[in-house]
Amino acid sequence: MKISFFETVRYRAPEALPPEWPVPSGAYDRDAGAAAYRGMIERLEYVEELGFDWVSVSEHHYSPRILTPSPIVSAAFIAAHLKRITIALLGPIVPHSNPVRVAEELAMLDTMAQGRLVVGLLRGTANEAMTYDLNPQEARERTDEGMELILKAWTEPQPFGWQGRHFQYRTVSIWPRPLQQPHPPTFALGTSRESCEFAARHHLGCGVSYGPFEVMAKATRYYREQCARHGWQPSPEQIIYRANMLVAETDEEAQALLRAQSNQAPFTMRAGVRDAVMTLDSRNIAGEARSPVVSGALPTTFVGSPDTIVEQVRRCREVVGAGVLDLSLHPPGSGDLDSLMRALELFGTKVLPRIREI
Amino acid sequence: MAPTAFREDYVEADGVRIRYMEVGQGTPLVHLLGAGGLRLTRAHDLLCRHVRVLAFELPEGPLPEHTLARAVATLGLDTFDLMGTSSAGAAALGLALQEPRRVRALVLEAPAAIRPDNRDADLERRLSGLTTPTLVLFGTADDVVPPAMGRVYKALMSNCHLVFVYAAGHAISADRPEAFAEVVVDFLERHEAFVISRAQTVIHP
Repeated sequence: MKISFFETVRYRAPEALPPEWPVPSGAYDRDAGAAAYRGMIERLEYVEELGFDWVSVSEHHYSPRILTPSPIVSAAFIAAHLKRITIALLGPIVPHSNPVRVAEELAMLDTMAQGRLVVGLLRGTANEAMTYDLNPQEARERTDEGMELILKAWTEPQPFGWQGRHFQYRTVSIWPRPLQQPHPPTFALGTSRESCEFAARHHLGCGVSYGPFEVMAKATRYYREQCARHGWQPSPEQIIYRANMLVAETDEEAQALLRAQSNQAPFTMRAGVRDAVMTLDSRNIAGEARSPVVSGALPTTFVGSPDTIVEQVRRCREVVGAGVLDLSLHPPGSGDLDSLMRALELFGTKVLPRIREI
Repeated sequence: MAPTAFREDYVEADGVRIRYMEVGQGTPLVHLLGAGGLRLTRAHDLLCRHVRVLAFELPEGPLPEHTLARAVATLGLDTFDLMGTSSAGAAALGLALQEPRRVRALVLEAPAAIRPDNRDADLERRLSGLTTPTLVLFGTADDVVPPAMGRVYKALMSNCHLVFVYAAGHAISADRPEAFAEVVVDFLERHEAFVISRAQTVIHP
């Protein structure tokens, strides 16, 4: 099992902030921001020392909860400070990006980080569509087309034009190309039928997140079936499971931490906006409809003492089939850094060495 | 919109009778159709708003070397644009090589002239000397001729431009007629300058 640390920057707001997305920009505290990015590097140096295989970053906007609106900037900054760890950029939100620019920047990053890059491409959560005025009804199509264009830009040796549905370029010929050939290990992130089919068709990995093992297993099973249909079999390392974990010395302490957590949704929206999103957006797990809006806190699927966690990881491997765990060892939006560091140390010394061989 | 009224006719050269359909005004575009024969698509309707389309049904089997050139001359076309689809890509390239001064620009839709299992070294050598502005189109979902063949034309011909039409199969003009016609018309009008976008992005003036 490969282990990835999901880095969310941990902005510690000096005052309580309104929960609604978007959070007013005027409430931002620049000293707290500067401290958060400094702290990120110190934390990741420790993460690397503990022996994590990857550090992952993601793209989120207009909120302090995960302070990485440009994951490529985060990834480049991290790559420059850390020397060994693989940087998992999970990932650019494709439908509101310029796919050619994404292909160029990832090729640069892969080369500058000397091949330590892993890429996840995704459609983004429902609120992200509003960030850059993306029509949610077009998001799926733009994602598929954008992902295909990124792959083409990485691999086509001759200048080419792209006569797409949503993107049009008369001439594309990127420099540099990625260091890893034909391109960095790439994952289509998401549980949807479309995302799994895209990954299978293009021989990419698949990434699922947060849901209970049995539910996520529906998506990974569907992905493996589609891969078989396309005549290949993914390795366990081509399936990422991102999850929340609460590890403590004892099961009782871990359960107490779970009870103390807020049940607030990561991104709350005004009722009128939320209702409109519900009618314009659609999501599914391997074809079964799911709500586009998360109504409560994201589930924490690993909870317990080191022994309990090791068994849960074993079960995750069996049920979900994942060979990479991308973990938040503390609720992603929490600024309680002492608890996070304690969890990191406990996980790094008592769990990590025991789950490598799973 | 009412269906476009094509006029059907025949032209004879070297004793070979070639059926064709014609419609539209302006610069002539001779389209050599692929193995499917004289089946017109919505792309022809769109093209004929801008150019005079003459769609040729090639007889089965190879034609004598200069027959096509003579047929086009018989129709009184001095200079013309040329398009070849799929299996007719080879005939279009042959005509462009014979008549470099008469063929103003060349469009190859999913050409089958160069295939991974059937490379023609002599053709490829001759193509390296062809300077006619050429647009090579492949659908990203073509499962008849690998779209990667596009890069061979691009590498060989000094004035060749490769465009992938997203989500189109081998029959690009049938699968995505609007996307196909837009880039073809733009290329025929502007040749290599077609890389410069003229799209308006003003939302409110």
